[in-house]
Amino acid sequence: MENNNSKSCLARLRAIDFALYETVLYLDAYPDNAEALAYYHRMLTQRKALVAEYEQNVGPLTVCGNVSTTGWDWIKNPWPWEYEAN
Amino acid sequence: MWNYEKKLQYPVKIKTPNPKLAQIIISQLGGPDGELAASMRYLHQRYAMPYKEITGILTDVGTEELAHLEMVAAILYQLTRNLSEDQIKQGGFETYFVDHTTGIYPIAASGVPFDMKYVGIKGDTIADLQEDLAAEQKARVTYDNILRLCDDPDVRDPIKFLREREIVHAQRFGDALRIAQDHLDSRNFYACNPSFDKACGKK
Repeated sequence: MENNNSKSCLARLRAIDFALYETVLYLDAYPDNAEALAYYHRMLTQRKALVAEYEQNVGPLTVCGNVSTTGWDWIKNPWPWEYEAN
Repeated sequence: MWNYEKKLQYPVKIKTPNPKLAQIIISQLGGPDGELAASMRYLHQRYAMPYKEITGILTDVGTEELAHLEMVAAILYQLTRNLSEDQIKQGGFETYFVDHTTGIYPIAASGVPFDMKYVGIKGDTIADLQEDLAAEQKARVTYDNILRLCDDPDVRDPIKFLREREIVHAQRFGDALRIAQDHLDSRNFYACNPSFDKACGKK
């Protein structure tokens, strides 16, 4: 059963990722835009904190994020396409 | 190379299975203007691109399309969960079910399996980018059509997200086309193909 903390952490991470990836696409077309690059770094800093929180409390986001030294949490259910994961 | 992130780009939470709706939405998986076509188109076009901005856009939009492919699959998965045989028959789902059960198979709503013929890769900078602009419009229209046929707010929500992303991608391809033109002789953009000809561009 999901607790509110893990849901809200995922929601916050999705929001930051949205802003970040929009900025990435913009920088691809306008790589010299200093303001966009500064915004990118601000988003990245927030993302790093959210990823750490998510991986500590919910589970790994990538294969490099299995913080546990006693269990392989990467394959833990649910998977992203299941109702319970969202 | 590709890394996988174990989360959907945008949530999919569908309470009510609906195999009839799944048969329509499956076109965004395996249809001519769907996410598999989009990701294959952009990721393969990028190799011939001569300008790094455009290679970047194609790489990053192509990768996002793989994420959208996963979202469409999630929608289909949740729409076909725990079906009874009655639900399969009432949903007119038998033709798909007999060959694929509730497996997720890239096919169009018409029943035609995914075909690489949907993917245009001409190896010409301008032709490829115009293909991409058209592709994003067609994907948007397909999502428009799905929204006309769908009442369930749980399904409409991620579909609306995916539709908006197509519009944003179209903007980025517009940027890419302008960037390509900025490198070329404005008296004749078609004098040469910067994806192939050496020294093709402004003197």
